[in-house]
Amino acid sequence: MSLLQLEDATIRFGGLIAVNSVSFSLEKGEIFGLIGPNGAGKTTCFNLITGVYKPTSGSIKFNGKEIAGTPPNKVAKLGICRTFQNIRLFTALSVLENVVIAGALRAKTGLLSALAYMPNAIQETEQLKREAMELLQILDLQDVANVRSCDLAYGMQRRLEIARAMATKPDLLLLDEPAAGMNPNEKVDLMNTVRKIRDLHGKTVLVIEHDMRFVMNLCERIFVLDHGEEIAQGPPQEIRNDPKVIEAYLGEAV
Amino acid sequence: METKSTFNMAPFLGVRLGSVIMAVGGCLLLGLVSGHILSDYYQRLVWLAGLYVTLSVSLNLINGITGQFSIGHAAFYMVGAYVGGFLTDTFFNRAHIPDLLWLTLMAIAGAIGAAFAGLFVGLPSLRLRGDYLAIVTLGFGEIIRIIVQNTKEVGGSYGMNIDHKIPAVWIVWLLAVICIAVSRNLLKTARGLLFLSVREDEIAASAMGVNVTSIKVTAFLLGSAFAGAAGALYAHSEGFITPATFGMDVSFIILTMVVLGGTGSITGSIIAAVFLSMLPEFLRQSDPRTGEAITLSGSSVVACLVAVVIAVALVKRIVDVGKENKRALDLFFAMSAGGVIFSFSILKLLNRAKEGKATKLTRFALYILAILAGFAYQALFSRLLGKYEPLAHKVIPLEQLRMVIFAVTLIVVMLLKPNGLLAHHEFSWSWVKRLFGFKAPETAVAS
Repeated sequence: MSLLQLEDATIRFGGLIAVNSVSFSLEKGEIFGLIGPNGAGKTTCFNLITGVYKPTSGSIKFNGKEIAGTPPNKVAKLGICRTFQNIRLFTALSVLENVVIAGALRAKTGLLSALAYMPNAIQETEQLKREAMELLQILDLQDVANVRSCDLAYGMQRRLEIARAMATKPDLLLLDEPAAGMNPNEKVDLMNTVRKIRDLHGKTVLVIEHDMRFVMNLCERIFVLDHGEEIAQGPPQEIRNDPKVIEAYLGEAV
Repeated sequence: METKSTFNMAPFLGVRLGSVIMAVGGCLLLGLVSGHILSDYYQRLVWLAGLYVTLSVSLNLINGITGQFSIGHAAFYMVGAYVGGFLTDTFFNRAHIPDLLWLTLMAIAGAIGAAFAGLFVGLPSLRLRGDYLAIVTLGFGEIIRIIVQNTKEVGGSYGMNIDHKIPAVWIVWLLAVICIAVSRNLLKTARGLLFLSVREDEIAASAMGVNVTSIKVTAFLLGSAFAGAAGALYAHSEGFITPATFGMDVSFIILTMVVLGGTGSITGSIIAAVFLSMLPEFLRQSDPRTGEAITLSGSSVVACLVAVVIAVALVKRIVDVGKENKRALDLFFAMSAGGVIFSFSILKLLNRAKEGKATKLTRFALYILAILAGFAYQALFSRLLGKYEPLAHKVIPLEQLRMVIFAVTLIVVMLLKPNGLLAHHEFSWSWVKRLFGFKAPETAVAS
């Protein structure tokens, strides 16, 4: 059974069909790329999967369970977490706090014990902080744990977005243009990090990215979207040579 | 940076017991002391300040911590007051319950009543953000006030007498301490961070599994419950309540306290609440002991205002030029009267001229010099203005200037510290240590 399965997922905003009958499925442990020109509907696909939008028709199954129209916070609890194209960190809070917040969806202690500062709430907070520190180490952010997240450099903010999404312990990680604004070295580091996340932590990764070299090197399968419709699907080698893709998106062979 | 679990039960219980004893003991002591040495008038100020601390800290929970811009806080205060007052008038004589227990029960009843009101306003306004929510809460506050004004059973616009007054300064302050403790506890736990995440970015918060709706409702419930409890205590301390006591101006004062103290900072809310609830009272027309009117000469008033303008301009410029020497700046803000402001702005200029090379002693000398300069300025300028006939013989009662000074103070503080007195900072022991030089200040990491 595939981890995530989109079947004829369609959403229209008035007269505009943003995503038209898109179907693809992700196997567990896969790194899957979603590419397409600007405005092709990639981020809308993410919004459909994470419950920001409810599809007009079609189905989205996660672990065999229908999740179309489930509110975002419940989708996160089911094990899908995302990063944002336009970085959306909790800017006034520290790097560590950003990650702790994401980890808190697994918190079991109630509001009352938090208000009374009971031992279980303290212990749980400490535990979440430890877990957050471990994640920050994976993404090489441990030295800036107490810095306000808006004071971080751009590339670090992108990494923090990933760390925060990882803190929810998702089965499926959605990365929306994680390499945007990074320099070539940072991109190579990021690629290694994403592979590490998959290999060591067994996550499945769905990534939107414009950098062709990044996508072609990282992803095992790629889905190409244009004007909300599928134009190709397959391993990088096939996509690279697909005439329709070259025409619609790449413009030239890469 | 692997940290082992540092949690131990014994010290936790010790600290918890200690802080509870200190809180209750401190409040009892305050009540006892103020009951014995202060006149009724000043006692009223003490419990009023306590209530305003509760109100501003509880509004800070909604506005500052959860980021929901609510400006109808007086409505919850009012609901609490009327619930408490009505229950006492109706049931107290039949209940045969000791005063203090009854007062506690009334505070709880007021809290429950206001929490329902909070739920009532919180639920429909969840879809709204920012200004839109502000308008709804403002409207809600007015609706409640007008309903009470037209309800004869609770006295309508004539107000309601509470037959059995139960003044208890220490319970008022205990409520304030509980409210502060709850807010602080919230911020220290992972669950409390969720409230901050809703303030920072609702979309990102919900993508991280935060139930934004329930967080917002919880914030409204908690904040309004504390305001309601404060209301019930107000009713029993004052003994008389009218709808006019809980008008829009009260909402705005509470909001001003939160913003002035630094949105989100509990410490800031407390300081601003005490300061702003005291300021207009101290500027009242007559000295409560002698009954004599306090007056100012017209020339000194003008001198003060001019000094404030010059000082603000000077300091603004310096603050924009360089942000070093923050401590002197903070000390500066603690003093706000016109001449003193002026003297400190001179001090800032002197300090800048010395490029921070001054030793402690020379700096101290500079402070003294600057203060003297402030007085000199005050004397000279008043004198000069005194030559101007219409001002020389004009005597302005302080009462008339009360709200002017109040407003000028607010404007000055907001101009100099746009993020509020404490911005996002909180009081902490490590801050105290840094202030007295026991610990090196944490270096900020440049972006």
